[in-house]
Amino acid sequence: MYVLGIESTAHTFGVGIVKDGEVIANERDTLKPAQGGIIPREAAAHHYRLAPMLLKAAIDKAGIKMKDIDVVGFSQGPGLIPALKVGYQVAHLISEKYGAKVVGVNHCIAHLEIARKYTGLEDPVMLYVSGGNTQVITYQGGRYLVFGETQDIGVGNLIDKIGRKMGMPFPAGPKIENMARSGRKYIKLPYSIKGMDVSFTGMETFVSRIIGREKSEDVSFSLQETIFAMLIEASERAMAYCRKDSLVITGGVAANSRLNDMGEVMCRERGAVSKRIPLEYAGDNGAMIAYTAYLMKDYRQRDLTIKPRYRTDTVEIKYR
Amino acid sequence: MKLMAMGSEASVYSKGDRVVKIRKRKGYRLNEIDAPLRKSRTRMEFGIMKKCYSSGIRVPAPLKMKEEDCSIEMEKIEGIQFDSKFSTEKMKELGEMVAKMHRAGVVHGDLTTANILLTEKELVIIDFGLSEHTAKDESRATDIYLLKNALKSRHKELYEKAYDTFLDSYSGSIGKEFKGINAHLKDIEKRRRYNEDY
Repeated sequence: MYVLGIESTAHTFGVGIVKDGEVIANERDTLKPAQGGIIPREAAAHHYRLAPMLLKAAIDKAGIKMKDIDVVGFSQGPGLIPALKVGYQVAHLISEKYGAKVVGVNHCIAHLEIARKYTGLEDPVMLYVSGGNTQVITYQGGRYLVFGETQDIGVGNLIDKIGRKMGMPFPAGPKIENMARSGRKYIKLPYSIKGMDVSFTGMETFVSRIIGREKSEDVSFSLQETIFAMLIEASERAMAYCRKDSLVITGGVAANSRLNDMGEVMCRERGAVSKRIPLEYAGDNGAMIAYTAYLMKDYRQRDLTIKPRYRTDTVEIKYR
Repeated sequence: MKLMAMGSEASVYSKGDRVVKIRKRKGYRLNEIDAPLRKSRTRMEFGIMKKCYSSGIRVPAPLKMKEEDCSIEMEKIEGIQFDSKFSTEKMKELGEMVAKMHRAGVVHGDLTTANILLTEKELVIIDFGLSEHTAKDESRATDIYLLKNALKSRHKELYEKAYDTFLDSYSGSIGKEFKGINAHLKDIEKRRRYNEDY
């Protein structure tokens, strides 16, 4: 059985193919604006432009034909409306033309499912950190529940905003991580956590004021140390509360090795396990959508439109 | 000292008829963040426990604080965690307690059913590790929101009845201030990302 998955929630357009649940193709391209952040309609234009090429690349990589596709999955949300529309249209087009069944996939759940697959962890707490999303999620009572999340902006978004103010191009994460390595001085920053929820806009305001007055290395270092500590603390709270003993960090910000290191130390100290997932599957990708659509292949979904504010905990999980 | 529980925030030990709560160094956190954070949280927690205790809210009696090792000694309560023997009947009592605590100028900050002990005769609120001295409607609303979430996730079948009972009793006890709190409560729910209701 071949399942093709399309990811298009934000600035990445990805096409993945799984054969009987195993990934055999994972192609993608990410829009990197020369300056500023993502403009939704520019992301959509990027996706429309690259969709045919990426579809072909994935199909060729898999060594199959379009008509071999049994199920086509797409990211229903959450995400940017213009970007989501591209995945929606491509999926429905493939379905009409080649008779594949359409499955709508929740983007956040796809991140968790692919993380479970590649770490082998049965029932982890997932810290999902990207530009738009910052959630602590775990499985409970037939659903993926969000235990903690950002009360305002995503952590990746915060990093990009700060990076932009320091003159770094998008995405700023890798640059900040690099600079942070040479940071020596810790500048005290607001540490904002309530229960398992975190908030970042106070941090944005505070850090904006010290940029230029403090060395960028020290700002980057202090920023990373503070926000990651908040995220790891929220994750640990969720683990203690739900009595779970493993952690997976995923999403674009999971590329940061300091964040992963902190997760590992936290887990070691409480006798839990933390595993890294291959970078290819940490950021947005089509394979996670294809894999999750494969898990959901028997679902009967009435609503196959886009869901820009699709909440993780509204999806009933019937395959676990 | 015998280890009783290891939470995410601290380890709790039994020492005769007392309980000792120690905030251990978190290896993942930079010492410059960790040390002041643990110290201030310990100091804050002890102060808040004293305030609650003297206001007649059922909490373990705070006995001694040591800043050097971020420890608090308190009365040992014979009871079990409310989440392991949950019942909606107790929600009325809880609503009154939380209202009383809020009126005393304290918000708990981590109000889950795991942080409430059930003894033979009453409920006892524990773990003031994330508590604050505040009378702000928004902070109070956050407390209720956390409890609501905890009920929803851990006691799904009883959630609605439990929450309704709690809110009835809470609003009755807190009086006219409830209006403002409730407005914030709705606002917090809206603010959560991707809320499909708006």
